[in-house]
Amino acid sequence: MSSLDQLTLPQVAEQEARAPLVSARGLSKYFESRGGFLAQAKPPVKAVESVDLDIGRGEVLGVVGESGSGKSTLGRLILRLIEPTRGEVVFDGHRLQSLNAGEMRRFRRHMQMIFQDPFASLNARMTIGDALMEPLSLHRGLKGTAAREAVVALLEKVGLSGDHMKRYPRMFSGGQRQRIAIARALASNPSFIVADEPVSALDVSIQAEVLNLLQTLQAELDLTLMFISHDLSVVEAVTDRVMVLYLGRVMEIAFTDALYSKPRHPYTAALLQAAPGVAKSKRYILRGEIPSPSNPPSGCVFRTRCPFAIDDCAKVVPPLSKVGTEHYKACIRDDLDL
Amino acid sequence: MASKSMRMHWPVMLSPDPIKPLGQLQRPVLMVRDLKTHFFTEAGVVKAVNGVSLSVSEGETLAVVGESGSGKSVTGLTVMRLLSRTTARVVGGSIEFCDRNGKVVDVLGLSEAAMQRVRGHDIAMIFQDPMSSLNPVFTIGDQIAEPIRIHKGLDRRQAREQALDLLRQVGISDPEQRIDNYPHQLSGGMRQRVMIAVALACDPRLLIADEPTTALDVTIQAQIIALLKRLQGERRMAMIFVTHDLKLVDEIADRVAVMYASQVVEEGPVKTVLARPRHPYTRALLDCIPSRRDASGGRRKLRPIPGTLPNPLSPPLGCRFHSRCAFAAERCKAIEPALEAVGEDHVTRCLRWKEIEL
Ligand SMILES: Nc1ncnc2c1ncn2[C@@H]1O[C@H](COP(=O)(O)OP(=O)(O)OP(=O)(O)O)[C@@H](O)[C@H]1O
Ligand SMILES: Nc1ncnc2c1ncn2[C@@H]1O[C@H](COP(=O)(O)OP(=O)(O)OP(=O)(O)O)[C@@H](O)[C@H]1O
Ligand code: SF4
Ligand code: SF4
Ligand SMILES: [Mg+2]
Ligand SMILES: [Mg+2]
Repeated sequence: MSSLDQLTLPQVAEQEARAPLVSARGLSKYFESRGGFLAQAKPPVKAVESVDLDIGRGEVLGVVGESGSGKSTLGRLILRLIEPTRGEVVFDGHRLQSLNAGEMRRFRRHMQMIFQDPFASLNARMTIGDALMEPLSLHRGLKGTAAREAVVALLEKVGLSGDHMKRYPRMFSGGQRQRIAIARALASNPSFIVADEPVSALDVSIQAEVLNLLQTLQAELDLTLMFISHDLSVVEAVTDRVMVLYLGRVMEIAFTDALYSKPRHPYTAALLQAAPGVAKSKRYILRGEIPSPSNPPSGCVFRTRCPFAIDDCAKVVPPLSKVGTEHYKACIRDDLDL
Repeated sequence: MASKSMRMHWPVMLSPDPIKPLGQLQRPVLMVRDLKTHFFTEAGVVKAVNGVSLSVSEGETLAVVGESGSGKSVTGLTVMRLLSRTTARVVGGSIEFCDRNGKVVDVLGLSEAAMQRVRGHDIAMIFQDPMSSLNPVFTIGDQIAEPIRIHKGLDRRQAREQALDLLRQVGISDPEQRIDNYPHQLSGGMRQRVMIAVALACDPRLLIADEPTTALDVTIQAQIIALLKRLQGERRMAMIFVTHDLKLVDEIADRVAVMYASQVVEEGPVKTVLARPRHPYTRALLDCIPSRRDASGGRRKLRPIPGTLPNPLSPPLGCRFHSRCAFAAERCKAIEPALEAVGEDHVTRCLRWKEIEL
């Protein structure tokens, strides 16, 4: 684990006691763009850029950021569903990048993903029962009655019933499909789940139910969660720590309470103020467009939209610096009152 | 069977047309009356939409909220006539659409060819699932420009210009580069915005937006909402906005219809319904909104509505909400409530609305 010896983030006592379950160092993903077929080669899309992170056992880490900021890509990288351009992921002491295809397949039972699009993630030709049976037999070796009982238990866990087993995905509403996707992720008894917008397709009542469910399961099974969402109130309700991404880079990371009560990065402050329900007069609408991820601004990537930008912001990429207990921000200005 | 005989004595009363006669101030664009869409499946008949009445006028936004599986999407898909004929059937009700020339069209009676002209051109829909409604083998530019060419008769170059402009309006940065992307190269939120651009491409008279901003962060969401509002002002576009976000309802809609188990249970002006709901289900929905932590800093337990949506194959007798309703009385199990007027332009489907304090 040589690369882990050079930790860029100092670890706090709590994390030393509970070694992180998942760590990433220098994780980057560039997508080559091919464009139209007569178009000339374009610079790659820098979806994720040099991300370092540790997720403690049993911890719920939230990931927030605007659309296109790289949240889903980061989630896929962490699970090695896609290969990083640079950097590596260590899961429970194993360097994922060093596992071969067969080892990786067996490893999958420990780490699951709940996908953003509940429609695309279910096979239209499989009944719900079969879709759930698959991981149960593959990862837990359950067959026959035992498997069927486990399927019913899973369905009930997510607020559906055994009656639904013989139905096909198209016969379910959007919210019901998302619950099935959650049941499927839980089927292999994973210790780590990346939940990519797991409740944004759900109505508030089911949303509350599923969030409570995730929280209960998390506590019961000591599940470690990476919770991706654009809904800041949901993130506040369920996470221990939050990471804020902008153009693929970490802007701020802190304990949830600290981040919400006293954001230290201008981008975090802007995001919090944009939420519906915040008094309109206090709202600071983020002006301008998100720059192209294939041609990010020099220095601080947020500077083109930051009301506090100064000349120096164009010169250096602000490193993540410590501003409190487990609280880091990537902004060169320490004199801001946000 | 006490409940059965009770039902006979208390026939489902059709309240004196709960929907206001339209065309007083604003011209109605869509009138759905007592719509019943049922699915005939191996397991039985799913009465996904069972007696829904809705209307929306020019320049107006009707929000439709309600629990997952309550029939919101099926209502929209029925209006678009996009449900597979092999399993889905409209077994009752009518859908009327008022076209650009003020002519009233019977949507359910149109030929498939005529309906195809209506779709996209007069009525457009933003679907709940971006991935399955965008075609993976065409670039997003082609998918936006194609309907513009067909409906507006523009040439390739002009259509592409308009497509670029639309992409810019829905907040896609770098549209010149993005226009040649395929759907899988976009993030979830970008796909959703591309769908919005496709739907807006032909200046529809009515837009049915099914959870159009669920995958979007608040800043983009605010931008989309502003765009939709502007289009409404400029073009008098009518909009049905399906969402589960009640905070959003407050920002975007004039009226709101709350659906539960295949029916509308409450409808009225947004301000009134949110401030003073008259149906216990609406109240319960409002209580589910996650809010900032309380002053003590403690993690607030969210309050989901106990129980689950009734099985649409066999909905309960009486009020469909009774098994989960905090105010249910004995008669709620036997009598099916009808929509009753509780105030100006405000209706509820609750037997006890007069006696309970919500
Ligand atoms: N093709 C189908 N065949 C059988 N049943 C269906 C079909 N499509 C939908 N249903 C059922 O119809 C009911 C209403 O579904 P609908 O998709 O309208 O719900 P919804 O209110 O849009 O929910 P959500 O908020 O989850 O999107 C559900 O019980 C669903 O299972
Ligand atoms: N397969 C791919 N090919 C090319 N570009 C991609 C691919 N997948 C993602 N991208 C690009 O990477 C960037 C980050 O995308 P990602 O899906 O991670 O964003 P996100 O933060 O999850 O956004 P959202 O909130 O909209 O889901 C975007 O610019 C996107 O277009
Ligand atoms: S480094 Fe400069 S531009 Fe970046 S967030 Fe801080 S003040 Fe704004
Ligand atoms: S009719 Fe009865 S059960 Fe139904 S909502 Fe009203 S009080 Fe509740
Ligand atoms: Mg995403
Ligand atoms: Mg729906």
